[in-house]
Amino acid sequence: MKNMIPEDIKKAAENWEQKTVKKTIGKFPERSAEFQTVSGAPVDRLYLPDSSLCDQYSQTLGFPGQYPFARGVQPTMYRGRLWTMRQYAGFSTAEESNRRYRYLLEQGSTGLSVAFDLPTQIGLDSDNEMCLGEVGKVGVAIDTLADMEALFEGIPLDKVSTSMTINAPASVLLAMYVAVAQKQGISADKLTGTIQNDVLKEYVARGTYIFPPEPSLRIVANIFQYCSREVPKWNTISISGYHIREAGSTAAQEVGFTLADAICYIETAMRAGLSVDDFAPRLTFFFAAHTDLFEEVAKFRAARRLYASIMRDRFKTQDPRSMMLRFHTQTGGVTLTAQQPDNNIVRVTLQALAAVLGGTQSLHTNSRDEALALPTEESVTIALRTQQVIAHESGVTSTVDPLGGSFFLEELTNCIEEEAKRYIREIDQMGGVVRAIESGYIQREIEQSAYAYGRSVEDRRRIVVGVNEFTSNKRTEFELFEVPEEVRNRQVEKLNQVRASRDGAQVGQALDALRAAASDPKANVMPPILDAVHAYASVGEICGVLRSAFGEYEDSYSM
Amino acid sequence: MQELVDETRAGSVRAASRLITLLEDNPSLVPQLLLRARDWPQVELILGITGAPGVGKSSVVDRLIAEWRVVRPDWRLAVVAVDPSSVFTGGAVLGDRVRMMAHANDPQVFIRSLANRGHLGGLTLGIRGIIRVLGLLGCRLVFLETVGVGQSEVEVSSVSDITAVLLAPGHGDSIQMIKAGVLETGDIFVINKSDREGAERLSAELRGTLKFTTARVHGLPPEIVKVSAARNTGLSALREAIEARAEKLASNRATMRSSGERQEVREFLLEASRHRISAVLEKPGVLEKLVERLARGDADLATVTSELLSSAGRAYCGDRTDPTAPSDPTDEKHDS
Amino acid sequence: MGRGRILIAKPGLDGHDRGAKYVAHLLRDAGYEVIYTGIRRSPEQIVNSAIQEDVRLIGLSLLSGAHNVLFRRVVDLLREKGAEDIMVFGGGTIPPKDVPGLEAMGIRAVFTPGTPAEVILSTVSKLLGENRSAGAS
Repeated sequence: MKNMIPEDIKKAAENWEQKTVKKTIGKFPERSAEFQTVSGAPVDRLYLPDSSLCDQYSQTLGFPGQYPFARGVQPTMYRGRLWTMRQYAGFSTAEESNRRYRYLLEQGSTGLSVAFDLPTQIGLDSDNEMCLGEVGKVGVAIDTLADMEALFEGIPLDKVSTSMTINAPASVLLAMYVAVAQKQGISADKLTGTIQNDVLKEYVARGTYIFPPEPSLRIVANIFQYCSREVPKWNTISISGYHIREAGSTAAQEVGFTLADAICYIETAMRAGLSVDDFAPRLTFFFAAHTDLFEEVAKFRAARRLYASIMRDRFKTQDPRSMMLRFHTQTGGVTLTAQQPDNNIVRVTLQALAAVLGGTQSLHTNSRDEALALPTEESVTIALRTQQVIAHESGVTSTVDPLGGSFFLEELTNCIEEEAKRYIREIDQMGGVVRAIESGYIQREIEQSAYAYGRSVEDRRRIVVGVNEFTSNKRTEFELFEVPEEVRNRQVEKLNQVRASRDGAQVGQALDALRAAASDPKANVMPPILDAVHAYASVGEICGVLRSAFGEYEDSYSM
Repeated sequence: MQELVDETRAGSVRAASRLITLLEDNPSLVPQLLLRARDWPQVELILGITGAPGVGKSSVVDRLIAEWRVVRPDWRLAVVAVDPSSVFTGGAVLGDRVRMMAHANDPQVFIRSLANRGHLGGLTLGIRGIIRVLGLLGCRLVFLETVGVGQSEVEVSSVSDITAVLLAPGHGDSIQMIKAGVLETGDIFVINKSDREGAERLSAELRGTLKFTTARVHGLPPEIVKVSAARNTGLSALREAIEARAEKLASNRATMRSSGERQEVREFLLEASRHRISAVLEKPGVLEKLVERLARGDADLATVTSELLSSAGRAYCGDRTDPTAPSDPTDEKHDS
Repeated sequence: MGRGRILIAKPGLDGHDRGAKYVAHLLRDAGYEVIYTGIRRSPEQIVNSAIQEDVRLIGLSLLSGAHNVLFRRVVDLLREKGAEDIMVFGGGTIPPKDVPGLEAMGIRAVFTPGTPAEVILSTVSKLLGENRSAGAS
């Protein structure tokens, strides 16, 4: 994007280059022939004032809380309310997770975030043989409503906001959450929270898909519809760039592919008959925060500005709330190292700072032992304190968009936006995201970026402290958190107990009704899923019915 | 090798796969094996599958395997999937198996991925020997899958009984871009992703162009079949078309197979000769001396070639009296 | 002749394939022939594939913490099918304290996150050379 540097400044800059800089470089050459952001974008020696920022201020930057929202989605941002400090947690059994949630709420965490184990994420019961070794490992195992009840025991669901990282079976887990609330005497319209529910990124970056893209998109539309009526305060999707970035994409790809996914979801919902302003205000996003501070802040601002223009110009929304890109951030897990784990505390601090300077609505900070296993209580506390220090001691929350106007930042913001737009155009030309996934375009792009980054670390063009420079042979002894193997046995026992004590006929009827609804493209699957859940049908049973109706996705992309 | 042969005949998958590796690594063993293998059980049908990357070859093969597993449950099936090796590093990523993993636990399905190791034709030298090993193991049907680059379509058809050429709409496969050789070697043209826009048009274009190509040696006109591997449609029709064709070919098969074998031995001889001549040329100073003589006009191309051929022959026999070749004997490993 | 055939596999339910793909690329660039299985594979599928492909080495990539159970299953299956000469190495989110246990069960090398490419390549090379000198045909 051409920036407009005033002529007199340009001349003075040339003069400076020719005289002052040249002389210095003669004596002290720069550390590298070229400098790049971590994503590989070139970085100049110096950035200069851009007069378009003043001349076109309202169009390019504008004011927080107003189109194009580049500087923030709320007018007062953190002066009004700090971001939600939401730490992702959950492992092994519902009872232990419940204890950890109560601990976090006591320590000042303001929202709950649930991590589910892989069997649950893939819609399988804990006794399925594909789940060997996986039960309760990366999150909590949920087989039936009984587990969900234990998970939220003693936690009033109308007083917390819960974010559930669940995608392909999001419909089932959301139904369980609603059912638990109903049992607590709380009506669904009081519930606040989020389900990730972003299947598209699963196919390219995370791998916990179940059904093929089209039926999966139908389920997403069903959820949008159901929530707009019954659970209106619920954020029905968290369109994610985090995993795409973790898989190795650049910052611009993170924005481009995520917004392309958003376009697909919006089009799907509109095809299902929803009007965009009915559901768009509840769409949220989820990004990573990596360590290259300015690139990350620029990325968040570019994403906001680009999304606003897409919503206004492409989808012609009327409601300004439909144009606001609200997002949760997690510091980049892939940036953390196993070597010298305490360095990770420093990395997470920089990443959290980037997210805050970038205007995130909620934030999860990783623990230092992330590269090795699920975090200990001590590590989790340090991660939370990191956010609290930034919030209360750094001063960056006293004003909105504090880095706005930095010549470097504004240039980076423009560049990332342009590049993201190119990716979206490319995907449009292919016929949309589903086609791009089927042809392997997105996977290939991500793979290439990942490989390029990996090589740059191997060649030491990119330094990672403690890994390829400043290494030490000292091994840090860690108290790493372990999930014992008998978790699976306990879980299976519990599942058997539920199966034995529930009303089999009721379960059968509910599953039949679900089967019928699934086969009817006009039906909404949420109400029958809710009935099935109340009858204590298991996640595996419900997803089994859906698997036979929709088929299973087979990844046909290879390297 | 005999031990592996015996164990393969007894049905050992391990032995068969080791035997395949042996042939892959030592293609010079192939001619002997082909001669010895006359009395081995034969593969009934070698089905070549070729097409540009991304048209869905492996997915179609995956579905066809499922088809045959149902209609001929007693048949053992095999897939040989060939991918190109990197010209720079010699390595390869062989990714076709990913799409066929549904059959990984089926003892009646044998899948083998091969890198073409720089073979100019795009197929590994000795592929026919590998197919004979699969026959010995008891495989009745072999899918031979390669990417359509270079001359590989032509090679696949010389090894296969029936060649299926895969196309898909939106893959830049408009007829103009299909190389002439492919049109003549394809028996069945499969349009995958037939539910997509452009499939009808592709089919019509293809039909038009095929009218002008000559039918293959055995006189059967090519046919077009539309499928969708993703939606699992059209695969039964494809299988039936293949089986119908196979039936018609049955009488010709023996002739086609042995002429194909002669072809491969011929290829092998040419390749081995090329290696030996290269070995002579690569010796220090040889090429420079020859270029000088040609430049000075001391000798013409025909003379130089004859000398080179004699050198190559003598060098192999260890003769050190040849004035144009330096004294080091040729490295004996050059043709393995 | 190729430098050696290696199977890279992702056992269990974990879908993060960045590391597996990176190692596959690395090995290809070093001249090996790499067969990649894709994600969500059972130990049975992996071992059957390894035998059909006659690889000398299997690399298992796992980030979900299920390594103790699943790696052992792969090693046991190789033994059951008479293919214990096929060597296995592993990588992923494996805590250093689990490494001795994995090595005891027959995993020849474990690459924890951050292992440099040279270490992976020299280990693989040593493993393949090792086997040759041990007299395998």
